[in-house]
Parts: sequence; C-alpha cells; structure tokens
Amino acid sequence: MSATSTLALVAADSPASVGAVATALTALVDGGAAPLQIGELEDWAFVFRNADYLIGGALMTVGLTVASILLGFLVGFPAGAVETYGEGLPKRLVESVGVVLRGTPIVVILVFMYFVLGVPSIDLGVVTLSGAVMSGILGLGLRSAAYQSQIFRATLGSVDDGQLEAARAVGMSQLEAIRHVAVPQALRRSVPGFQNEFTIVLKDTSIVFAIGLAELLTRSYDLFVERTTAVLEVIIFISAIYFVLTFTTNRALDYLGEYYAIPGGESA
Amino acid sequence: MADSTRPANVSDPGEAIPSAGRLLFVAAGVVFWGWLLATWVNRWLGGPVVPVGEPFVAPGTVESALAALPLLSAYATDLAFVTRISPEIARGIWLTVVITVVSLAVGFFIAVPLAVARVYGRLTAYVSLVYTELLRGTPLLAQLFVLHFGLNMGQYVPVALSDVFARNVVWVAILGFVLNGAAYQAEYIRGAIESVEEGQLTAGRAIGLSKVETIYYVVLPQGLRYAIPSWTNEFVYLIKYSSLAAFITVPELYYRAFEIASDTFRYPMIFAVTGLAYLCLVLTATELMARVEDLVAIPGVGGDRER
Amino acid sequence: MSDADSNPDADANADADANDAAESGDRDYLRVADISKWYGDEQVLDDVSFEMDRGDVTVLIGPSGSGKSTMLRCVNRLAEAQEGEIFLDGEEVTAPDVDVDELRREVGMVFQDFNLFAHLTALDNVALGPRRVLDLSEAEADERAHAQLERVGLADQTDSYPAELSGGQKQRVGIARALAMEPKLMLFDEPTSALDPELIGEVLEVMHDLVADGMTMLVVTHEMSFARAVADEIVFLDEGRVVERGPPEQLFDNPEKERTARFLDRIASHD
Repeated sequence: MSATSTLALVAADSPASVGAVATALTALVDGGAAPLQIGELEDWAFVFRNADYLIGGALMTVGLTVASILLGFLVGFPAGAVETYGEGLPKRLVESVGVVLRGTPIVVILVFMYFVLGVPSIDLGVVTLSGAVMSGILGLGLRSAAYQSQIFRATLGSVDDGQLEAARAVGMSQLEAIRHVAVPQALRRSVPGFQNEFTIVLKDTSIVFAIGLAELLTRSYDLFVERTTAVLEVIIFISAIYFVLTFTTNRALDYLGEYYAIPGGESA
Repeated sequence: MADSTRPANVSDPGEAIPSAGRLLFVAAGVVFWGWLLATWVNRWLGGPVVPVGEPFVAPGTVESALAALPLLSAYATDLAFVTRISPEIARGIWLTVVITVVSLAVGFFIAVPLAVARVYGRLTAYVSLVYTELLRGTPLLAQLFVLHFGLNMGQYVPVALSDVFARNVVWVAILGFVLNGAAYQAEYIRGAIESVEEGQLTAGRAIGLSKVETIYYVVLPQGLRYAIPSWTNEFVYLIKYSSLAAFITVPELYYRAFEIASDTFRYPMIFAVTGLAYLCLVLTATELMARVEDLVAIPGVGGDRER
Repeated sequence: MSDADSNPDADANADADANDAAESGDRDYLRVADISKWYGDEQVLDDVSFEMDRGDVTVLIGPSGSGKSTMLRCVNRLAEAQEGEIFLDGEEVTAPDVDVDELRREVGMVFQDFNLFAHLTALDNVALGPRRVLDLSEAEADERAHAQLERVGLADQTDSYPAELSGGQKQRVGIARALAMEPKLMLFDEPTSALDPELIGEVLEVMHDLVADGMTMLVVTHEMSFARAVADEIVFLDEGRVVERGPPEQLFDNPEKERTARFLDRIASHD
C-alpha cells in the first residue's frame, strides 16, 4: 500500500480527518486484510473518472437549494409579517403551522410529501420536474418558510415603533408604512439570519437521499455502493464540494450584507 | 426519573388560572410521557403488564369500542392500527431520546473548550475555527456516512461500551452527533462568551484571579446563561436530526416508522404519528429548557438583560 | 451607616487637617519613576513621576485623554509601561518577573463602571477574591465579605444581585470587593463618573471614611472638592505629562503653570 503518497492526497482534502485516517491506516496495516482500503490511488482515479457524474449531482443540489430558498422566502416573508402585525385567527394559524413544520424532522416532511401526498411532477416545457424533485422543493421550501418567517418576525419586530409612527404621521396608511419603512429596514437586518438559513437548506438538500433524488449525496452513495473500496474517497470529495458551496455562499452573503448595510444601522 | 422528566403539574405559581390551551398542553404531555414510560418500563421488566411488544390495550378492543361510538366510528380502524404499532414507536423513541441526550451532553463538554479556545486562544483559536467551519460546512448525513461507511467506526467500539446497545452502530451515530453538535454548540457558546462584557474580565484580573480562573469563575457562569436560548435550539435540532441515524441503520424512531410503513404501506397514518411523536419530544425539550433557564436565572444576566 | 447623616464637608475638612499633620519624610511607599507608554506611535504617558507615603492620598487630575487612567492601570499592570519603574513598598512592580496576580492581590482597584460580577450576589462579589485568590475557607471569606459590606453601609444588601442595586450601591460593593483583599494600596478610576449626581455623595462618603482609616489611595477623579478636602498631593496630567504637582491649596489656589489654571477654570465653570 503506497501509504505516504495517498495520505498526502487525503490530507490535502480534509485536514480534520488526517488523524482519523492515520489511525485507520495503522489499524489496516496491523490488522492485515480489511474489507476497506483507504486512500488507494485507483480509488481516487475512480472518483475523478466519475467527477462529472458527481458535479451533475452538485448542480441538482444547487438547484434544489435555490428553488427551496425562493419558495421559503415567498411563503415565509408574508408569514413573518402576519406573525408580527396580524392578529386573531390568521396569526394563530400561521403560528401553529410554523410550530409543526419546525418541530418535525425534515426527513419526515420529505417522506410525507413524496409517499403520502404524492406530489405530482410538473412539465415546465424546457424541463420536467419529477415528483421527487417537486417533493424535495416543497418539503425543503415549506420548512424553510417556517424558519424564514421567524427571521422576518424578529427583524420586523425590531424596527422601532417610532419609525411606523413617523410614517403614519406623514400620512402613510398602516400597510404603506410597513411596506416603505419597516420592510426595507427589516430586510437588511435579516441578512445574517438569512445566511444561516441558506447554508442549512444547502446542507439539508442531502436528506432528499431519503426519497432517492439524485443530488450530490445520493449520487455519491450510488458510486460507493458500486465500488465499496472507494467510500472514503468519494465522501471526502463530495464533502469538499459541499464545503466550497457553503463557504462561497457565506462569503457572498457577507458581501451582500455589507453592500446593503445602512451606516450606523444594526443588524439582527 | 419519572416525575422529573415530564413537564406536568409543576405549573408556575405565577399563573394561578392556567388558560385552557395551557391545560390541554400539559395534559397531552402527561399522556405522552406516561404512555412512553409505561411502555419502556414494561419492556425492561420483561413484560409484567403485557407481553413485550404488545400494546396495553388490544387493537381489537380499541376498534370495537370506537366503532360503537357514532362520531369516532369512521376512525376506528385507523386508531386500532396506531394502537397496534405503538409499542414499536415507543421503542424507537427510546433510542431517539438516548442518542439525543447523550450526544448533547458529551458535545457540550467538547464545545466549551472549543469556544474558549476560539475566543481566548492564539494557535488553538485557529484549530477551533478550522474544526467548527469544517463540521458546520458539510452535511451531517455525509459525516455519518464517513464514520459508518468510510471508516467503519463500529469496529473500534470498546468492549465495555458495545454491550450497552444491541448494535455498535448506535455508538457510531452518537459519535457523529457529538462531533457535529460540538461544532454548533461551540459557535453558540462563543457568541455568548463574547457578549460578556470586557470589564468582567478586567475586574477578575484586578482582584488577582489568573486568566483561566477568571474565565472559569466569571466569564463562563455568565456566558453559559446567555447561551441557553440558542442551546435550546441545538437541543431541538438534535432531536430532529437524530432521525438521520436511520440511514446508517440505527433503529431509532424514524427507522422503525419507515420499517412499519414498508410492511404495511400505511404511510399517511404512520408518518402523521411519527411527526406527532417528534413534535412532542421537541415541545418537551423547549419546555424543559425554559424551566432550566428560570431555574438558573439571575437578575441582569441572560434573558431580558437590563442594564 | 453610623454617620450617614453627618455633613460630609465638615468631615472632609477635619480629614484634610489630619493628613497635613501626618505629611513627612521620604515618600517612597509608592514610587512612580519616569513612566512612559505608547499605544503604537501615540505616546500616552511621558516621563511621569510622583511618590506617595503610606497613608497618603494622591489625586490625579487632568482633561480626558491625558493618561490618568492609563497611569493608574500601570500600577497594577492592567496596562504595561514601556519605560520607567514603579516601586510599591520596596518591591519593583514593573520588573518582568513579577507575578502580576500576586501584585494585584495587594493593590485594590475600583472601576468607573463598577464591573461587578453580574452573576454573583453582592456578598459573593466581595467573597470571590478571598475564596479563590487568598484561599480562605467559605466561612472566613463570607465573614470578611460581610464585614466589608458593613463598612460601606450595605449590610442589608448582601443577597442582592448587581442588577438589583443602584449605581451608588454598586460602586460601594466595588469598593468592598477591593477592600476584602486587604490591599496595601487602593486605585480609584473615576469612581463617581458613571453615577447620577444624587448618588455621588454616598460613594464619596465611603471614600472619606477610608481616608480617615489611613488607607493609601491613588485616585483619578473630577470631584475637585473631594480632591481639595482629602488629597495630600494633586498631580495634574496633560497629554501624558505631569504639568504640575503639589498640595491642593497650592495647586488649586495658586497654580504655577498657566495650563493648570486654564484647566481649573474650565472645570470650575462646569461646577
């Protein structure tokens, strides 16, 4: 086993697991034949041969994330506004649905969408979104809406009452005051919370594995089931992709936050 | 254990007349935990009340009793089915609870040094940063796959531990949640430590405490109190994400539910029940943490800070 | 507090006379010699020197940013001077091998914004140092804390948390906390600046009592009447330099330097 060269390769990809890899390697060497070999060049070659297959999965991951975040925003923002400014039945209804969505594991929500509701496929003309994709988007999107509503509720609530009073004083209606004064301030303050939510959705797209949707993690599973010696190589490879995705998303949203920041304004 | 875990009857003396909703909530909690504990105890003792794996009330009885009632007769078969699967569900919940609680507790003891290193360390701050970023930047499911499929960690479980659960893979899941949870907890605790005012550290040093002593006696007691709300979040997250252990074949709640569903094809009923069970666990955790927060509350520290 | 209703000004005058009489000899209990300090390129202290005898009260005055607080912090090494030496009771405080924790046991400090430990009761705030630093038993530490809280007139507030105390009470706990270490020297960093005007009196009263007890005190303050009443020496700092120093009567009534006079005028017009 060409331990040194491959270890270096592994180390370059994942500093944290070097220790673990090293121990595992020692165990393998000591223990003789093990079902699994780590860091073999052939296995890495296998990974890179299938790189485009995995990149395809990564595109699906990105697509799922964007669609879910968008759906989450479209539903979550009004929901947050209702929780902040609404009263009576609509408010209680939104709150209750939110509690249920936030209290249930995403895997249960996804399986519910897919197996129970049987969300149908949609033909968009250019592409057809399968039932699994639609279930994934709906499940992740509605769950995200439940969390995004909390972000917006907090930031809308943090806009000083005096701001709304001032807007009313210049003759705006309640709705206009919310729309032109509270919302612009709240949206800017929402960036950090939104950033967090974005990366959570991105990572949780991996859980559509449960309904067999061929995104990054599912494809990696398919690959390492096919070649069981390459499990670690495949997962390290896709983890690196996930890490790059979350890292760039975070930096991009950092930049967005700075760009739209109001001088002297606080973020929530 | 029985009385301390359930959020029952310890109602706040402040709210002399609890609202109807609150009463219903407490009653539901009592029923849920009463049923769980009874089922668990029955299993541990080898089935003194009913044979292990059997519900307390025979499904047939439930069905015929409900069928006689005009309003509920439509749901008689469904509820009989739920009764039949209830022992399996309770069994799954047991592992879910154990995995969550153990992972959260062990993760905490890794998270505190990580957070302290991040705030006050030099080289260690970078080590802590790399660790947290790496574990927070990749999906939990991928991490579980690394531990189980990639490293086959189950084979390294020490003999002393391997007798605790029927299968070593439970320990692999716990390891995964500990490593991952520690990164998230460290991030929350770091934020809380940073919110402790600089002057507190100066004052500690000024009476002659060393830096480590000041962190231990002054900063952490305050910081950890500030951390309770976000720590509650982590608790709730862990309850829900413990369901991912099913994908490395840990027979916790989701795994058992999915198995029953594959056998019976009664997806709607089973996942409604499963979702409800998770919701009960999550609400219990939130309630419990609110009580912990009250218990350790100090005027002016954490919660509503008045300065 | 026993003399809570007596007139603090009358007290103050009596103390001042007593201190004048005590002044004598080579003053080297605390010796600050040619201290200089820079933050980056900016020099905040420039060759500062002064001396104090045991039981002396020295008040540092000067405009904000003149380096008073930094000077104070150099004495217990919360700030590090780059040049110069400080001796306390014959020991060099500024030596590189000095155990700073040991030093801080012997030098009490009272902060402008109190810095009470927010999670501890008044009693525990005072007892923490005796317990953890002096290694006294719980009982001994509590007893000592009780005594010090009584000394500052807060015997009835031992179980209150900082958030439950008024600003003046907080600062008195802060003073008790420092006293509980039985320090050789007390440093006061603008102890009344963060207080509402009506609460300043109770803190100054406690400080007057300390003076009467013979405590050695180095005080940064803007309370000029307090300075005049109790100080053995006033040190006027401006832009990190000692512009003028001397007994209060001389410095306040006949300042030698024009800058001192201008500063005193400005302060007076605010009073």
